[in-house]
Amino acid sequence: MKQLWQVREVSTLMILVLEVAFFTWYLWPSDGGHPFLNVGNALLILKYSSIYGIAAIGAAIVIITGGIDLSSGAVIGLTSVVTGYFFVQADWSLTASALMGLMVGLSAGLASSWLIVGMRLPPFIATLGVMGIWRGAGYIITEARFYDLSAKLPRNWTVVGVSIDWVPPLVMVALAGTFQVLMKRFQWGRAIFAVGGNETAALFSGLRVGLVKTTAYVTAGLLAAISGVVLAVVQGQGKADLANGYELDIIASAVVGGTSLTGGRGSVAGAVLGALIFGVLRNALPQIPGATFYDRVIVGLAVIVIVVMDQIMVRRGEA
Amino acid sequence: MITAGLEFCDVAKAFGAVQALRGVSFTIAAGDAHACVGENGAGKSTLLKILAGIIRPDRGALSWAGERIHFSTPREALEHGIGMVYQEMLAFPNLSVTANIFAGREITNRWGVLDERAMRARTQELLMQLHVPVTPDTSMQHVSTACAQLVQVARALAFDCRVLVLDEPTTSLTDAEVDHLFGVVTRLRQQGVTVLFVSHRLPEVYRLCDRITVLRDGQFVDTFERATTPSDDIVRAMVGREPPRRVPHSSSVPQFPSSPVPQFPSSPALQVRGLSRRPAFEDVSFQVAPGEIVGMFGLVGSGRTEILETLFGLATPDAGQVAVDGQAIYVRSTRDAARAGLALVPENRQRQGLFFNLSLRHNLVLPLAAKQGVGLIRDAGEETAARAQVEALTIKAPHLKVTPDALSGGNQQKIVAGKWLATTPKVLLLDEPTKGVDVGAKFEIHNLIRHQADAGMACLMVSSDLPEVLALADRILVMREGHLRGELPGAGATEETVMRLATHDVDLDRPAGGNA
Repeated sequence: MKQLWQVREVSTLMILVLEVAFFTWYLWPSDGGHPFLNVGNALLILKYSSIYGIAAIGAAIVIITGGIDLSSGAVIGLTSVVTGYFFVQADWSLTASALMGLMVGLSAGLASSWLIVGMRLPPFIATLGVMGIWRGAGYIITEARFYDLSAKLPRNWTVVGVSIDWVPPLVMVALAGTFQVLMKRFQWGRAIFAVGGNETAALFSGLRVGLVKTTAYVTAGLLAAISGVVLAVVQGQGKADLANGYELDIIASAVVGGTSLTGGRGSVAGAVLGALIFGVLRNALPQIPGATFYDRVIVGLAVIVIVVMDQIMVRRGEA
Repeated sequence: MITAGLEFCDVAKAFGAVQALRGVSFTIAAGDAHACVGENGAGKSTLLKILAGIIRPDRGALSWAGERIHFSTPREALEHGIGMVYQEMLAFPNLSVTANIFAGREITNRWGVLDERAMRARTQELLMQLHVPVTPDTSMQHVSTACAQLVQVARALAFDCRVLVLDEPTTSLTDAEVDHLFGVVTRLRQQGVTVLFVSHRLPEVYRLCDRITVLRDGQFVDTFERATTPSDDIVRAMVGREPPRRVPHSSSVPQFPSSPVPQFPSSPALQVRGLSRRPAFEDVSFQVAPGEIVGMFGLVGSGRTEILETLFGLATPDAGQVAVDGQAIYVRSTRDAARAGLALVPENRQRQGLFFNLSLRHNLVLPLAAKQGVGLIRDAGEETAARAQVEALTIKAPHLKVTPDALSGGNQQKIVAGKWLATTPKVLLLDEPTKGVDVGAKFEIHNLIRHQADAGMACLMVSSDLPEVLALADRILVMREGHLRGELPGAGATEETVMRLATHDVDLDRPAGGNA
């Protein structure tokens, strides 16, 4: 029988708990308040992690179908620009501007899936191309300037009684819960796992493989766009070079959360936990004196160590 | 005179908790043709993997002519003259036939440069010898399953080997091709090659081999002399019980013993008129009545599988009409086909039928779910539907959460059939339904098909196993080179009459004693 620690989401959560415990101990102050373990810092981690985490949900879904999406960082950047353009330049409401921002993700997902399903391009190439075009569009629109949303955004505002600071993490948790249920309890999710497990058998089983893949890439695009709206609001900026290179951290979050790059195996809840693991690292490492120049190395090592540990546990679970 | 050739001495191997081999000892005389038989799970594959150097035994030893041999890699086994022809295709789909045959052992000139001309010429020669209808430059991905198996045989023949190991080499070959292969093997034997032949097909074992070793549950049962042992004794040794009854043969049992289908049904369940998909097949017309099993026979490349795939929406026909229950259907995808009441049990269950990342339960309900549309999964409903199929098909599994890789070939095939039967199709298309399954499971699958037909389902079965077609089919359609060459009633047909239609001027005199 499977042990509890062999359930993938639980082992990822344990890694996160151990990580928080480690930094709490390591950064324990000799006097005064704790620099790591306080509500303000936790909120900061959650807020910035949610930008990665929301997009990582989509990345996990695409990877489970056996594909890959390299365009998420570019979609986040362009979404911030488009949202900023309508909010600042066209003076639309934030809701309407955000909806226009979501169109960026929708269009990227449709373009990727058309290239992959229709033109039969490998997902890596298709989304690499989309990444370049969508990123470049941001520079064309802004001409290297940026939209300053912060001037127009209200100060200390609330959304249905919740402080704006808490909105991104709550959105992330809500989306993670929704997609966890969709992936585990709905035929759509089952189809995603089936296509990733054996595409030929899926076709022979009467599944609409092309449609399944299309929904995966469109979902990933839309989720990345939601990340983009969150980033624009959190940063108060719409700027073409925002979220540069995020796609790799987003994919790494999904992988650390137990999603197999060969397809057919993975979890969206795990992807969000993976994003939190990286969020804590990015927050805590700069607080360690002398670690400033090592933080990227440590993040890279963490990816390798966690995935190797996962494989050892999987092998033990099978034996 | 028996000279000690290849000797297995107390060979044992366990995988986790599963004891695959429990100390097996027997000897294959040099120059002998020796068969190894047993049901799935008897340990044959493990034994072969040890011989091929893929896995190492936990204990025990192998020896050749009294000298201990020990392989730690497949390459070492090759260098010792062990030539393997595997049941599961090991091929590089992205390389040419020539490159596949010579993979890892390419012919080079003295500078180490690949000698493409020599390899190509040798490949051409081997393909001619085996009658494989592909060219040396054909990409392996365009080679059908049956031809790919022959390419593997060619690969083993391309190099001098002292021991030729054939693991179910005939599962996708037609009788004519089997004759051919056996001819080659016989010639190799005369040159002093020792043959180890693993097969489920006892008539072939009897044709080719002098001695027969039976394994059961990882244990050596006995080695029999072909000349003095009736095949029922072998079957009894394999299954450890009385041999199963043969499927009611159309010639010995009246047709449709329990179903009231008229002789000329007015409303066929499946009607195909003028169906063409050049160059695979052309102008094919036939019909299948409810409750009828129609067998479709033909040599490799005659277009049988392509017809099933076209009917099931995996390819678009150039011309022709298809009707189900008298209603014209236009199938553009597998989903359309499923909704029209068709189901296809494909030829390659590993590649086309099963999801190894999903549980047995999820495998069994997938087509049903795909047919019905997107929605919330109801655990109880799924559980009931899956359990119903497990019980109806007697799938042997510890529980519904296992993944298919934990089950035997026969049970895997039942899953592929069961997932489609759950959709209650009107027409069941079967492509080589008993390929690579053991005697017991084959019998069960035959009964299952007969049972479905008796319940009113129309079954169209493509098979290379002529005795199977003769035993099951009410009518036999014979294909040759993409055309329907004839139709025979199942009751009167014999191997000869079917083969005459399936081949043209190929000469049919077969070695005496071909059927035991």
